Amino acid sequence: MKKVLSVTLAGLMGLSLVACGPSASEVAASKEADATAAATEAAGAAEAGGDTAESDGPIRVCIVYSGNLGDKSYNDSCNAGAQKAVEDFGIELKSLEGTTAQEWEANLVAACEEGYDLIIGASSNNADHIAKYAPDYPDIKFAVIDTTVDQPNVQSISFAQNQGSFLAGAAAALFTQKTDIEGVNADHVIGWVGGMDVPVLHDFYVGYEQGAKYVDPDVTILQAFAGSWSDPLKGKELTLAQYEQGADIVMNVASGTGPGVLEAAKESGKYAIGVDLNQDNDQPGHVLTSMVKRVDNACYLTIQSVVEGNFQGGTTQYLTLADGGVSLTDFSVMREALGDKFPEDIVEQCDELAEKIISGEIVVENYEGFGPNA
Amino acid sequence: MEVFESLGKIFNVSLIYATFRASTPIIYAALCAAITQQANILNIGTEGIMLVGAFTAVAVSYFTGSWILGVAAAMGGGAVIAMIMAVGHIKYDSEICAIGMGINLFAIAITKFLMQVLFNTNGTFSDPAIVPIPTVHLPFLEHIPVLNELLNDWCFTEWFVIIFIIILQFLFYKTVWGLRLRAVGQFPMAAQTAGINVNAVKYQAMLISGLIGGLAGAHLSLGYSTQFVENMTNNRGFMGVAAMYFGGANPVLTAVGCLLFGFSDSVGARLQAYGFPAQFVLMTPYLVTVIVLAVSMAIKLGAVKKKQSSLVTG
Repeated sequence: MKKVLSVTLAGLMGLSLVACGPSASEVAASKEADATAAATEAAGAAEAGGDTAESDGPIRVCIVYSGNLGDKSYNDSCNAGAQKAVEDFGIELKSLEGTTAQEWEANLVAACEEGYDLIIGASSNNADHIAKYAPDYPDIKFAVIDTTVDQPNVQSISFAQNQGSFLAGAAAALFTQKTDIEGVNADHVIGWVGGMDVPVLHDFYVGYEQGAKYVDPDVTILQAFAGSWSDPLKGKELTLAQYEQGADIVMNVASGTGPGVLEAAKESGKYAIGVDLNQDNDQPGHVLTSMVKRVDNACYLTIQSVVEGNFQGGTTQYLTLADGGVSLTDFSVMREALGDKFPEDIVEQCDELAEKIISGEIVVENYEGFGPNA
Repeated sequence: MEVFESLGKIFNVSLIYATFRASTPIIYAALCAAITQQANILNIGTEGIMLVGAFTAVAVSYFTGSWILGVAAAMGGGAVIAMIMAVGHIKYDSEICAIGMGINLFAIAITKFLMQVLFNTNGTFSDPAIVPIPTVHLPFLEHIPVLNELLNDWCFTEWFVIIFIIILQFLFYKTVWGLRLRAVGQFPMAAQTAGINVNAVKYQAMLISGLIGGLAGAHLSLGYSTQFVENMTNNRGFMGVAAMYFGGANPVLTAVGCLLFGFSDSVGARLQAYGFPAQFVLMTPYLVTVIVLAVSMAIKLGAVKKKQSSLVTG
């Protein structure tokens, strides 16, 4: 009896060790999923009658996320674009989630070994890994969103998040002056909470700061990083700290850490700005607007380029305010919540500023390594 | 002058509550580890127990609309997980660290899985139907400026943790059961000779530990925030275990260790806003963990040496 038990326990321990390496289990899971997906897709493709460029089955796409789906932000936006591509082109899609750098690298390697047609690194966290492994897999098409990787088989798509953040910063700096709105104090202080301290977030921040100072040179901006894309409690604590230091509106650029920022706004009767997806409805009445970044479009267009056979490795696309790559939401949720007190002039000024940016009258600065020519 | 103004914004009254708010989940976790440590069981599974508790609390609160049921279910869930560990460790004599790590990984996986099955969502689950643990509003404090800011509108579980520390301190050092628990931890053979059922005491300790761990999780997902997020404990359970070591499983000293973590975290949150490098600030809680453990171990070793030398000369 004892022997049997010790063997079982040893087996269990071995299992838990395997579970330590998410890549191993992910690979196993993906193989299984692939088998079933391939079967159903094959049937689907037969019906579609060779809609795809390649005759031997559907295009196989794998997206490697730095973080989890369900963040109601960046990753979900990317996934929405991918799901649309599944509907429109009948591609086979695999999503690999992970929260640590080791997992991201392991997931990418697993995807490379699986021989997908297209592997998308969803965020700038994946860039180094793609730069490292893309040369080893010259037949696989890679794409990276939100940053640039200079390799012949990698397509890069990045956004003028500095332009969108400029508008968000301007909106925040204007909003903090509206002392007749409940919860807004007399101090000209606004906040900003980021997820991990990565270069692309600084590109957000540069624009946010410039936009805020453009409308109010005396404004103070509090900045903080949570050091994680998936710790909302930390995000909440950082936001509460900024409210206590006089801020009344805080922008989040934090993926899964962001819900904590929005929750802090609701609980302390203050305000926040959403990011990536339209987050205005996540805590209605406490989210002034969201800086929407069309990650879904980027993901969809990349998959489309592979499906239609015009994928261009080694190129960079830069989606700006003018292209609709970034924008603010229409403030409608906040307008409804505040009623007569809603400051229409903020919307008007933001529209004006947007026109000036598009016409080139205002040039929004970039963080080092970002911008149309990066 | 500007420096002083900034310092005033960092070290003000609100920092005290912020420290306590950030410490509370770690205090619960540390107490969860402390009670088993008294019986000489290192509860590495604290993290997993908390995570299961956090999920159960949100799920039950969402479906029943009652935070009390949510908290009770979380404590029950924590107890079940703890009993799995207890049976493995006490009855079948397996290594507690291995079971604990297994439980931690299992908790991440099962909560992720159940979130998909029950709520059909990934990553984050928040819904207006989740009823949070209420805050305690004390009307008579409203007109006292500093105390109002300091003490009003605390979450119910934040008040309870203070009472709880005192209860455990009393239980460990002033009751017969506490004496037996410590005897079992320090010298099980002697305890057995004295007629104490060693295994029964160990099971009881694990059971209570599970209840506390579940409560810790419920506080995280219904008190500290009103949502469940994958792996939302984010190593708070491990920090609790570290604080338990710092306090030598003494509830009051352990809580002091937790407050140290909470303090470094809260000061860090405020320092960042003034341009301190985020990398350094984010490192501080962990740096404090290492320093605190090193210091407490050094003191402990010194005390052991002293004891040994006094035994030899005596």
